[in-house]
Amino acid sequence: MVENYAILPCNGLDKCAGVISGELAIKLSENGDNKIICPVFYRVSETKYNKLAAERPLFVIDGCQTRCASKLAAEKNLKVARRIIVADEAKNHHIELNDGLRITDQEQAFVGTLFEKLNKADEKPTLSSEDAGISCDFEYETFQSGKFIFRIPKNAEVFFNENDCWAWVNGNRARIGVTDYVQQNLSDILYFYPPEIGDDIDQFGELGSIESSKAVFELVSPFRGKVVAINEKLVTNPELINENPYEKGWVAELELTDQEGDKELLIGFERYFEITQKKVEETNVR
Amino acid sequence: MSETTFMGVERNLIDWKPTIDYTKCDYCMECVKFCPHRVFEVRENEEIKLIIKNPDNCVVFCRACSKTCGPDALSFPDKNATTQRIKEIRKEMEGHG
Repeated sequence: MVENYAILPCNGLDKCAGVISGELAIKLSENGDNKIICPVFYRVSETKYNKLAAERPLFVIDGCQTRCASKLAAEKNLKVARRIIVADEAKNHHIELNDGLRITDQEQAFVGTLFEKLNKADEKPTLSSEDAGISCDFEYETFQSGKFIFRIPKNAEVFFNENDCWAWVNGNRARIGVTDYVQQNLSDILYFYPPEIGDDIDQFGELGSIESSKAVFELVSPFRGKVVAINEKLVTNPELINENPYEKGWVAELELTDQEGDKELLIGFERYFEITQKKVEETNVR
Repeated sequence: MSETTFMGVERNLIDWKPTIDYTKCDYCMECVKFCPHRVFEVRENEEIKLIIKNPDNCVVFCRACSKTCGPDALSFPDKNATTQRIKEIRKEMEGHG
């Protein structure tokens, strides 16, 4: 059950997804102890909602990728405990939202689907870093550029893709995350969007995403496989990725489907180290 | 600037770039502000104000600009098809030793 949140929808009237965010917020407030923060009122007058935002974890519902509600939360220095983007959810459910603003039967049913999904997610037991399968003992090679230090694991078990994601392989399972290059580029990571347990991910498919005030980074999975664990701690503490993206900041574990085939398109420590050095020189991490 | 090869394949042989749906794009230019690789170019005084100027600068498999796009006007090729194509090119390269 989704309970005890302060809910901040975008409630936009620019497109249908904004209207759906408002509808979903109302449904959550009618069916659980959740309180709505009106984004319009909050922008002009903080007093009414500051207390609410301080007392309860914040659940942001963005309509589209413009992410107005998330930006409002950032402006008000609020820590976001949970977030969904209606347009993304619609895509995941293969629903084409209508062009107008009025909610039709299809959108109304979609609000119900989202509500059910959110409640189900809260009931589902999830795996945390403590009970996930792989233990990794990283050894790093480092280099420095300006004030930034880049650690790159040199263990033989670790494989990289050229999209700056690593995988520690153990038997038929791999733990996956982003490299220091990603977290240094993004700087303070504010959101973590996990993949779902049980999802089948293609090699180079999307394995969740992370977001800072600078950019959104889609994790490009080095391997094909089924998601068997996610690092739940990142949902509430995405900054763990900044602290160490290999250890406490790992993202997910996969059960691998074609390990040897996938490895053909991956690289080891030496090549990734070279590529990262070159990228850092060219892009001037700032 | 981007790497000139990706997975050992010449970048210009890999078809990976955003496509702009001009029926949806509202020229908010969030993608331009975001992309550090100068894939896009703004053309203020022309009817079409945004174009894909440097497709080969686009990082293969990166779709981050589309995640900044409110009107959902940016799309990318299918990742699986791209992966298959990269594998084929690598095989062809091996064949040519």
